[in-house]
Amino acid sequence: MNNVQGTGPIRPATPVRVVIVDDHAIFRSGLKADLDQSIHVVGEAATVEQAIAVIAQERPEVVLLDVHLPGGLGGGGREVIAGSASLLATTKFLALSVSDAAEDVVSVIRAGARGYVTKTISGAEITDAVFRVAGGDAVFSPRLAGFVLDAFGTAPADIADDELDRLSARELEVMRLIARGYSYKEVAKELFISIKTVETHVSAVLRKLQLSSRHELTKWAAERRLL
Amino acid sequence: MTTALTRPPLVRSSDRVIAGVCAGLAAHLGWPVKSVRIGMALATLAGGAGLAFYAWLWIMVPTADESARRNARRPASPIAPAVSLDPAFSAGPPSAAPSQGSPAAAPWWGNPDAGTNAPGVSPGGPGAGYGSSYGPAVRPPWFRVRSMRYGKEILLGAGLLLVAGIMIARLLGVDVPLETLIPAAAVLGGAAIAWMQLDETRRAGLVDKTKADQAGGWARLAAGLALVVAGVLVMVSGSGSWEQTWLALLASVAVLGGVVLVLLPWALKFWRDLETERAGRIRETERAEIAAHLHDSVLQTLALIQRRAANEHDVVRLARAQERELRSWLFQDPGKEAGQLSDRIKAVGAEVEDSLGNAVEVVSVGDTAMTESHEALVQASREAMLNASRHGGGTVSVYLEVSDGRTEIFIKDRGPGFDLQEVPEDRLGVRESIIGRMKRHGGTASITSTPDGTEVRLGMPALQTDNAEGKS
Repeated sequence: MNNVQGTGPIRPATPVRVVIVDDHAIFRSGLKADLDQSIHVVGEAATVEQAIAVIAQERPEVVLLDVHLPGGLGGGGREVIAGSASLLATTKFLALSVSDAAEDVVSVIRAGARGYVTKTISGAEITDAVFRVAGGDAVFSPRLAGFVLDAFGTAPADIADDELDRLSARELEVMRLIARGYSYKEVAKELFISIKTVETHVSAVLRKLQLSSRHELTKWAAERRLL
Repeated sequence: MTTALTRPPLVRSSDRVIAGVCAGLAAHLGWPVKSVRIGMALATLAGGAGLAFYAWLWIMVPTADESARRNARRPASPIAPAVSLDPAFSAGPPSAAPSQGSPAAAPWWGNPDAGTNAPGVSPGGPGAGYGSSYGPAVRPPWFRVRSMRYGKEILLGAGLLLVAGIMIARLLGVDVPLETLIPAAAVLGGAAIAWMQLDETRRAGLVDKTKADQAGGWARLAAGLALVVAGVLVMVSGSGSWEQTWLALLASVAVLGGVVLVLLPWALKFWRDLETERAGRIRETERAEIAAHLHDSVLQTLALIQRRAANEHDVVRLARAQERELRSWLFQDPGKEAGQLSDRIKAVGAEVEDSLGNAVEVVSVGDTAMTESHEALVQASREAMLNASRHGGGTVSVYLEVSDGRTEIFIKDRGPGFDLQEVPEDRLGVRESIIGRMKRHGGTASITSTPDGTEVRLGMPALQTDNAEGKS
């Protein structure tokens, strides 16, 4: 479904410690069962307040975070990330959502999440995504790549442009291939570059997505209630 | 009457010279537009009667758009057994603007205006032809009377006829006591206007009033009050001196003020209760609508899933179809233009998903209106999706990108791949339906196949002359 197919990132020697934040108990237990042996679920939370407390206590490497959560000020996943801002250096957030709405996805990424996948993703794919995020990389689904292309435009950056507001020609190529359903490995093969370079490009795009002050980005996301 | 029943509703046409009144009237009556226009012009010469009639219709008759919006404030049920029926139906936008007056426009879960007939629901129902086509939902709200339909129109007409009769009688030399009649008529008219207001307030809980309606209500109240006061003044002043009149007026205003002071708290409380009730009713209507939708879509699908629980393939297919339907219902942007290329590609993807069971993920960047060559592009990508789903056996990724000069579609699967050279000559799927079709319409198609999967790339330049080849 979400081709976050892996190149099989190097599995860490020690298990990855994960907290699952989702308001549906059924989904949490299903996700736990689906995850690989080398992922340890050290905590669960169902609301914004619980999530912030559990994350602060457990200090997990990765938080699997639902975009829509009850509690708090109604900000959902975004609010959890904001509430855990001091831990962002060590704890990585991977957004999970049933929502395809660009507004939701972009807002949670801009809050600091390192990637976004939809809930229909398979167990193997999500395990892969967790390892990737834990390793410091960004996880882009084809849909998120589509959002990025739509928001930043498909024309490459001029040198004069503020580098945060546009994607370079290479980044555009990488995003296009991911939107077409290519795995990182396939992208690397297609562009004759190494997987590490692909990961660098993807991380750079994620950084631009998070930091760009491009006002169109917010406007664009608000206008696009769905894709 | 039977012929009248098939008449189109009386709405102002968009094919207009001034306000579309004549064209609308002609469409409603089934007369040629030209003769209606000439007739209107001739009537204008007859003491301005045509002008008055025109102005009247201009004010009272809604435009086709307004009428459609009123009828279709809620779209017809977008639901459906997304699974077993035409998949394009469930994937399409929930019928954005049903034609007014047709049965499809009536919300099937019940008419929110309880007690009034929904337009066109009962073609054999009571009322003249005028009534059945120009139903309550089309008329301005203050014209609605529950017990007697069109009672007010009839009353108004009778009143106007009476006035005309009196004027003719005066012309003929009959002495009519106008000095008493006019004030009396003013009082009656003012009272009538004020009472209409009450009639509407009573129904306020049912009608989703807008601010404009409320402003209209105040204007009507003020007009009624002014008429009554003026009428009373004229009547009273006829019998006594001005001083007396002013004194009486002052006294009555004082008494009225006292009454208002006493009744105000009670009236305010009443008003608040009314508001609460209205809000409650609106919530209830919305809830009922959501419940109706969920019942017809989600609950039905869940029932189907339970019955076919043994068949994993069916369950996945049902769940996907339902997800798609619910997503489009929840997130569909009503402001978005329908019939764009991305919608078509998504609909085709949904159709392939339904028929073959493998997920088809469509990501689109940019969009464009459909043209004939885009239609060929859609057909070619449909063929490619079918192939990918059939032979790839997994998720099919579809990426559509529309940029200034070019439209591109990529269809990728993760199947074992195939060699185009080895496809037998008589197999037309790839060669004819994809490559040949794209070439005929001035586009390009290429296929890359490796053991890790196959990708079909389709491209179509945006500006191109339509060639005559249109056999697709």
